[in-house]
Amino acid sequence: MTSICLYFQIHQPIRLKNYTFFQIGYDHQYDDVQLNYQILNKVADRCYLPVNALLLEMIKKHKGKFKVAFSISGVALEQFVQYRPEVITSIRRLVDTGCVEILSETYYHSLASVYSPEEFTKQVKKHRDTIKYLFDIEPTTFRNTELIYSDAVAQQVADMGYYDTILAEGAPQLIENDDASFVFKAGETDLHLLLRHYKLSDDIAFRFPDQSWEHYPLTPEKFAKWVHTLDGKADTINLFMDYETFGEHKGAETGILEFLRNMPEAVLDNENFSFLTPAETVKAYKAKQQLDVPSEITWADAERDLSGWNHNHMQKDALKKLYGLEALVKESKSREFADIFGRLQTSDHLYYMSTKYWNDGVRQTFSPYKSPYDAYIIYMNALSDFEQLVKSTL
Amino acid sequence: MLGWEFPPILTGGLGTACYGLSKALSNYVDLTLIIPRAEKSLTLDGVKILGLNYLGLEEELAYEEPSVSYNTFTDVTYVDANLNPYPMGIMFTQISKPVLKAEDVRNLYNTNESYGPNIMDKVATYAEVVTKIALNKEFDVIHAHDWITYPAAVKLKEATGKPLVLHIHSLETDRVGTHAKHQVNAVYEIEKKGMEAADRLIPVSHFTKSCAMDHYYIPEYKFHPVYNAIDPEPTFRLEKQGDEKIVLFLGRITFQKGPEFMAETAFKLLQRYQNVRFFVAGIGDQLQKLKDTCYAMGIYDKFIFAGFLNKPKVREILAQADVYFMPSVSEPFGLSALEAAQFDIPSVLSIQSGVAEVMNHALKADYWDTDRFANYIYALLNYEGIRNDMIENTEQEIDAMSWDQSAQDVHKVYQTCV
Repeated sequence: MTSICLYFQIHQPIRLKNYTFFQIGYDHQYDDVQLNYQILNKVADRCYLPVNALLLEMIKKHKGKFKVAFSISGVALEQFVQYRPEVITSIRRLVDTGCVEILSETYYHSLASVYSPEEFTKQVKKHRDTIKYLFDIEPTTFRNTELIYSDAVAQQVADMGYYDTILAEGAPQLIENDDASFVFKAGETDLHLLLRHYKLSDDIAFRFPDQSWEHYPLTPEKFAKWVHTLDGKADTINLFMDYETFGEHKGAETGILEFLRNMPEAVLDNENFSFLTPAETVKAYKAKQQLDVPSEITWADAERDLSGWNHNHMQKDALKKLYGLEALVKESKSREFADIFGRLQTSDHLYYMSTKYWNDGVRQTFSPYKSPYDAYIIYMNALSDFEQLVKSTL
Repeated sequence: MLGWEFPPILTGGLGTACYGLSKALSNYVDLTLIIPRAEKSLTLDGVKILGLNYLGLEEELAYEEPSVSYNTFTDVTYVDANLNPYPMGIMFTQISKPVLKAEDVRNLYNTNESYGPNIMDKVATYAEVVTKIALNKEFDVIHAHDWITYPAAVKLKEATGKPLVLHIHSLETDRVGTHAKHQVNAVYEIEKKGMEAADRLIPVSHFTKSCAMDHYYIPEYKFHPVYNAIDPEPTFRLEKQGDEKIVLFLGRITFQKGPEFMAETAFKLLQRYQNVRFFVAGIGDQLQKLKDTCYAMGIYDKFIFAGFLNKPKVREILAQADVYFMPSVSEPFGLSALEAAQFDIPSVLSIQSGVAEVMNHALKADYWDTDRFANYIYALLNYEGIRNDMIENTEQEIDAMSWDQSAQDVHKVYQTCV
C-alpha cells in the first residue's frame, strides 16, 4: 500500500500601512486595514470559498477515501472571523466530514522557533487555543512556519507534549526525493517526521500553468501515472503546498481547480493507493529510520533555508531590533502589547525586505510595497513607535 | 564629433560625459572632436582634438563658404535670461554676426567662461568655423552634443548630407521649465530645429526621450537612449567632526534642481530629527531665494552654503556625507549621483531623473513629494540595515557600468544610419 498525504497551508499576513517617521510617537495603529480587507476578500472569493466547496464535494463523492489536512495561521483565522466568517463555517463543514485534519503552528506565522523559544511556545499555545475554540480540535501534528525544521525545533515541539508528528521539507541536501516517502523518527525525539515530496508537490504548486514546461499540460492522469510509478517503493507521498495555489496564485483559468477535482480519482484508480491525513499516516507505517537535521531547513527557494527571511542587512537589523523588544514587552505584562509584538513577528514582514531575487516577478507580486527598501522603512518606523510606546508605560 | 565643454574646465555633467564617451568611443571609430577651447596639455589616445582657441585657423578657413548659412537659426534676436545652461546668470543677449578672422576666433574662445554673455556669438562662430574645418575632412557621421553645437551640426549636415546624430544631455525645458516651449526662446528653437533635422537622437535617458517627445514634438523612431556611465575611481572616507549627519546637495541652485523642494524636505525632517545638517554645494540664480526660504522657515542654521566647489573640495565633502539628495524637477541624467555612489553614499533621488533609471538601489520619489523624501532621509540617517544593503547593491551596479558599454551603444546607433 502507498498513501498520499495532502496538506494545504492557509495564511494571510496582516500587512502594515505606509507608516512614516512623521507618525512615530503619535500613531500606534500599524495595519493597512483596507488593503488587508481587500486581499482577504479577493482570496476568499477566488480560493478559500470555492475550493472549500470543491473539497467538500470531493470528500462526499469519494465516501471517505479522499482526505486532506490544513494548517491555518492565527492571523489568517483572525481575518476570516473579522471579514469573512463564512470561510470559518466552510472549514467547519470540512472538519465535520472526519476526513480533514487541522494542524498546529505558531499563531502569528512567525520565525520565533529560531529567535525565541519562549515566544515560540507562547504562540503555539495561542494557536492551539484558537483552533480549539473555533473547531473544537486539539491537533497532534505540528507544522512550523515555512516548514522551518531542525533537531532543535523538533526537540522544542516534542517538549511541549501535545504532538506525535511534525512536518518538514524533503530538502535535497538532506535526502533524495523518493527516499523521503516514508515515515521517519524526528532526531532524538519520539516525534514522527513526514517529509514533503518537493518534486511532485511543486509540479502542482509551481509548474502546473507553465507552458514552457515539457510536461505541460499536466493532467490528473499524467500526475497519477507518476505517483503510481512509486507503487511498492514508497509508504507515503507527502504533497504539501499553499492552499492559495488553487484559484489565487494559479487562477481558475489555468484549469488548476479541474485538476484538483479529478486528481484523486485518477490516483485511486490503482487500488494500491489511498489518501491519509498526517495523523493516520504515522499510525499506518512504522518509522523507517531516525533522521538527524542539525541545521535549519525550510520549504523555500532553491536553497531550502531561511535566507529569504534573514539574509540581508535590513532583515538582520530588523530581526535584532524586533527580538530586542521581547524583554520590554514581557516586562509590560500587557496582553495588548504582546499581541502587537506577535503581529510584528509575522514572517511576511521580513520576506518583503528580501533582495535575494530583486528582479524576480513572483516575489514582487506577493509584496504590497514598492520595494524591499520601502518594506524595511515602514517596518522599522512602526517598530520604533512600538518601542517608544512600550517604554512609555514602564 | 562636436562638443562644447571639455576637461579641465567644466560647469556640469556635459563635459564629463563628452570626455568619458569620446575616450571609450575611440576604440570603435576614428574620432575627431572639435571643441571651442582645448588645452594643449590634454590629449586623449585615439581622439584627434581640435580646439578653436589654438588652431592655425588661417589654413582651415581658406575654403569656400558653403551655400547654407547660419541664418536659419537667427530668426530670433533676443533670448531669455535663463538661456545659460550652466552657472553665471546673464540677462539679454543679442546674437551677433560670427567672427571669422582667425585671431578673433582664438580670442573668442580663449576664456575660462564656456558660456557668458556673448554665448550666441560663440555659437554662431563655432558653426561657421566648424563647417569650414570639417569640409576638408573625411568622415561618415556627425555627432553633436547639446544645443550649443547643434547649429554647427545642422549646417554641416546641410553642406555634406552626412547622417546627423544629436546627443541630448539636457534640454531647455529641463533648464528653464516646460514653459520654454510657449515663449520666444532661441535655445528652444535651436534644439527643436536640430532635432527635426537629425537622423538619430541619443538622449541620456528614457526620461529625456519622453521630454523631447512631449515638449519638442519629435517622433519616437529617431530616439536611441544611451545611458551615461562612470569609470572606476578610487574613493576614500574622511572622519567628520562631531556626530551630526550630513545630507549633501550638489549642483547648480537653479529651478531645474528643485532647491525649494530640498528646503521643504529639510523643514519636514527637522520637525522630528535635528542631528543633521544640509550641505549645499553650488551656486545659481535661485541661491538667494533658497537662503531666504530657509531663513523664513527657521532652518537656516541647519544649512551650510558652501558655494561653488572645485573637484578636490567636492571629493572631500563626498567623503563625509551620509546621504546624497537630488530632488531635481527635471534631470536628464544626473551623473553626480553615480559619483556619490562611488563614495558609498546612499542616494535619495527624484523619479524625474535619468539616473534613477539605472540606479535600482536608490530611494526615489516624485520631486514634489517632500513627505516621502523626508521619510527616506530619516530612514537612511537612523536605520543601519538599509544603508548597508543599498551601498552593497549599488556598488555592484556601479561596477557593471562603463563608458565602454555606452560607447558600444552609440556605435550601434551610428551603424543604423551610415
